[in-house]
Amino acid sequence: MGEDEVLSVTRRTTRSSSATAISTKNDVVERIKSTHICSPSLNDLLYGGEPIDLDVLLSNFPGRHPQIRELLQILGPSNTPMLPIFVYGGPSTGKTSIILQLFRYLNRPFVYSSCRTCYSPRILFESVLNQLSHHRKNATNGYSSVKRCEKPSDFVNFLREALVSMVNRLKENVGKSKSSKKRERSIDGHMVYLIFDKLELVRDWDKSSSILPLLFNLDSILNIPEVGLIFISSTPPDTFYSSMGYIEPVPIYFPNYSEDDLRQILVRNQAYPKLYSSFLDAVLRPFCRITRRLDELSAVFSSLFLEYCKPLNDLAVVPNEDLKRRLFSNLQPHISLFLNETFRVLSQSSSGAERTKGRELRGSKRKIGTHDESDELDFHMSTSAKYLLISAFLASRNPATLDASLFDSRGGSDSRKRRRKPSETAKGQKEAEEEELLTKGPGSFPLERLLAIFQCITSVAEDYLGEEVQVEDSLEVEGQDGPLMSDVLLQLSSLCNANFIVKGGTCPLEGSTRYRSVVTEDLALKVAKSVKFPLAKYVYRR
Amino acid sequence: MVSDNAAEKALNLIRSRLCNPNFIFRPLCDSPDSNYSKLKFIVSSSVTEACNNSVLLLGPRGSGKVAVLDLVLEDLLLEYPDMINLIRLNGLLHSDDNSAVKEIARQLCVEHQLLFSKMASFDDNSEFMIAMLRECGLAHKTIVFVLDEFDLFTQGKQRLLYALLDAMQSVTSQAVVIGVSCRLDADQLLEKRVKSRFSHRKLLFLPPSEEDIYRLLDHVLSLPVDSSLPHDYAIEFNAKLHSMFSDERFRQVINSYMNFSPTVRHLVKFLFRAASDMDLKLGYLSFENFKSAISSLQRQPKMECLRDCSILELYILVCMKRLEVKEQNSYSFSAVMKEYKSIHDSFQTSDYYSQDVCLRAFEHVLQRGLVCFADGRGRIQSTEFRPVKLLISFAEISQGLKAHHLCPAFLQKLAS
Repeated sequence: MGEDEVLSVTRRTTRSSSATAISTKNDVVERIKSTHICSPSLNDLLYGGEPIDLDVLLSNFPGRHPQIRELLQILGPSNTPMLPIFVYGGPSTGKTSIILQLFRYLNRPFVYSSCRTCYSPRILFESVLNQLSHHRKNATNGYSSVKRCEKPSDFVNFLREALVSMVNRLKENVGKSKSSKKRERSIDGHMVYLIFDKLELVRDWDKSSSILPLLFNLDSILNIPEVGLIFISSTPPDTFYSSMGYIEPVPIYFPNYSEDDLRQILVRNQAYPKLYSSFLDAVLRPFCRITRRLDELSAVFSSLFLEYCKPLNDLAVVPNEDLKRRLFSNLQPHISLFLNETFRVLSQSSSGAERTKGRELRGSKRKIGTHDESDELDFHMSTSAKYLLISAFLASRNPATLDASLFDSRGGSDSRKRRRKPSETAKGQKEAEEEELLTKGPGSFPLERLLAIFQCITSVAEDYLGEEVQVEDSLEVEGQDGPLMSDVLLQLSSLCNANFIVKGGTCPLEGSTRYRSVVTEDLALKVAKSVKFPLAKYVYRR
Repeated sequence: MVSDNAAEKALNLIRSRLCNPNFIFRPLCDSPDSNYSKLKFIVSSSVTEACNNSVLLLGPRGSGKVAVLDLVLEDLLLEYPDMINLIRLNGLLHSDDNSAVKEIARQLCVEHQLLFSKMASFDDNSEFMIAMLRECGLAHKTIVFVLDEFDLFTQGKQRLLYALLDAMQSVTSQAVVIGVSCRLDADQLLEKRVKSRFSHRKLLFLPPSEEDIYRLLDHVLSLPVDSSLPHDYAIEFNAKLHSMFSDERFRQVINSYMNFSPTVRHLVKFLFRAASDMDLKLGYLSFENFKSAISSLQRQPKMECLRDCSILELYILVCMKRLEVKEQNSYSFSAVMKEYKSIHDSFQTSDYYSQDVCLRAFEHVLQRGLVCFADGRGRIQSTEFRPVKLLISFAEISQGLKAHHLCPAFLQKLAS
């Protein structure tokens, strides 16, 4: 039976476990395992690299001294038990790195798992257990975890077992290292700390209603005084409301950096601090009005600084007042440009790390498209795909009832619309409708409507420019249904994959899939321009 | 001045006391009408007189239900060795009947050195449990079932509760079922067939009285004079502590804290925070420690979030507030953007940015938890068009704007 179980484990866990293998690698925790591959030792749970002392730690994190002091007080001297703590504060305020560096300074063993890389309860549980039992996933064990553990009850049993044995070994170790003092890097004390990072993500998990109370009550469930629990979250504790209730952990707050702190941090590690601080004089304040997140600011400033330096030949100069003024006037036009483009730069540089959701990928793509100075599209699309995109846009924006008049074969839509004079009540209605459109966003449409509009506009388009759409011509006008349908459906699916069109839920009455176009009007106009299609005439304006 | 060593030792002692609930609740147990004595009487009578019993311990979270239970069981295990068999379940872990029965079987097997089969079915396990109950009853061994988070066991069909309480009805078994819950209506959640088999004994855990609080403070914080700690230091430490207890300001701090969070565990958290603040150079607990602890525990997360916001993010919040004042029950980011534009058009503000920049600022506000989507999640729609709502009151916004050191006066006027 035992063998069977092992086999099934290897078969089932390959995909998910490889993800955690990466997670332990790419997280900040770079363990010193490479030196200990043959014999796992307790030192694996320490922070890798040389230990640092407190002064270095404090100077590494300007503006964070009160928080570091507070954490040190709560962690206390070695071998003192602690109550669970909850570290919170906005993104990029140094929560995770300060905690990890603190453990590097304190030389105490810890288990770090981030809920972003451990994206389900099972992976989280197994990651903790793997680290506690010095288990490394590799080819010889088929990238499986040390224990297969899905249920919270199993997790708690295994965890208690692992922690008790770990604490016992640490206690032995303390005795040993006292007798033989020559060890250069010894573990301090017999406390083990469990760190759960990015806790705010757990709220979106399927089983969040059972996992969160479990994590918050883990301290009282385990009831081992030698274990310290640290939760790190970017949202305050009041967002973790649960109907069960729990004793809140001791809160520790990391506020956003103040402007002075930001300046100090940004100047650090710059090759030309004098020049850079005069640069910051010019740009820091206006950008701080938009965002006070360090990661965003540093991304913008890195490219803006290049602009700033352009007129200079020698970057090592100490700028005097005159030079500063000249440089500033040089930079002035760029500042306003960058102020309104902050996020374009960002979405390109950090798209790999932060964006996982399709929504945001789509957002960045859209931004790239719309922000282009020229009217040229910066990506290639086939002509029929462009038409399809335009028709999807029309189908999303225009009410379905207007289709008939807009795409009338006689083209008399314009005159007919203008003839009616809007009365007062109709105006009020229109305003209400406008509000509704604002809140509801682009409408959804069935496939049939899209195809009908597509057919209409391609036939209209050929009136305008007969020779340019030869391909469409031969496909459309003859009305050969077979090839047209297959081709268009292919194009449609590729547009869906590119996130220009999203597949919505199925309509409850008809049961067919509904689509929705999410391109902005700018992009649609640009696409229309590239095929010389008079889109503005067809968009329904209120 | 005291040597660092002694102060550190004292701090370690106090911290380990605070992290040990059994130590904290010991002084609250001696009086004859305490929950400790009542619970001990119930369990011990069932041990000595070979009868079945069931009881519910109810009280808010952190009022020491489990700690008192642990104390009782610890003492009884010493009093009657080899006569009590303890089975612990937790509603968070074993709320479905299957895993609960499995866990019972596992713990029984560990206790009696039997081989536990992972593959056993629900039926096997529950049969095994009933058989063990009978065997233990014949051997005059009491099985104590502790069901922590009792309310979670009532979620499903309550088969486990029925099986347990039904087994209590027979003369052959000898067991106590102790449910622990923070829901005061926990017994109302039981099905009729389960309820009729429950004894309806309930012990209510109340917040400590003021007298109890000071007894507890003294018990936890004062140092033992006859230990490895220097004698003079311990005496001086205790004297300072007692003079602080009689200080009116100190009493006010404790009162104001206990008004907010009345349970013992909250008090422990407070003392932990204050104790870890202790200056090791000075070596004594001071009033300032307690004062700073109270300010670091009683936080206002929303205000902190507002203080962290940039000006543009504040603009967005103010726009949303204005929309809500206009009684628009549903609005999305694009409506917020429209409001933002109209503010700019009528007042010509210097803070006018493109839509993408605003969208990112809006996403920041969303991440901070100051606003949220009003519709259910999982809808496929872009952020701009999903309906949103504020999670922060108007008063908080205007208060936060006032506290924000960079906030332009113009914005405050807009928000009022």
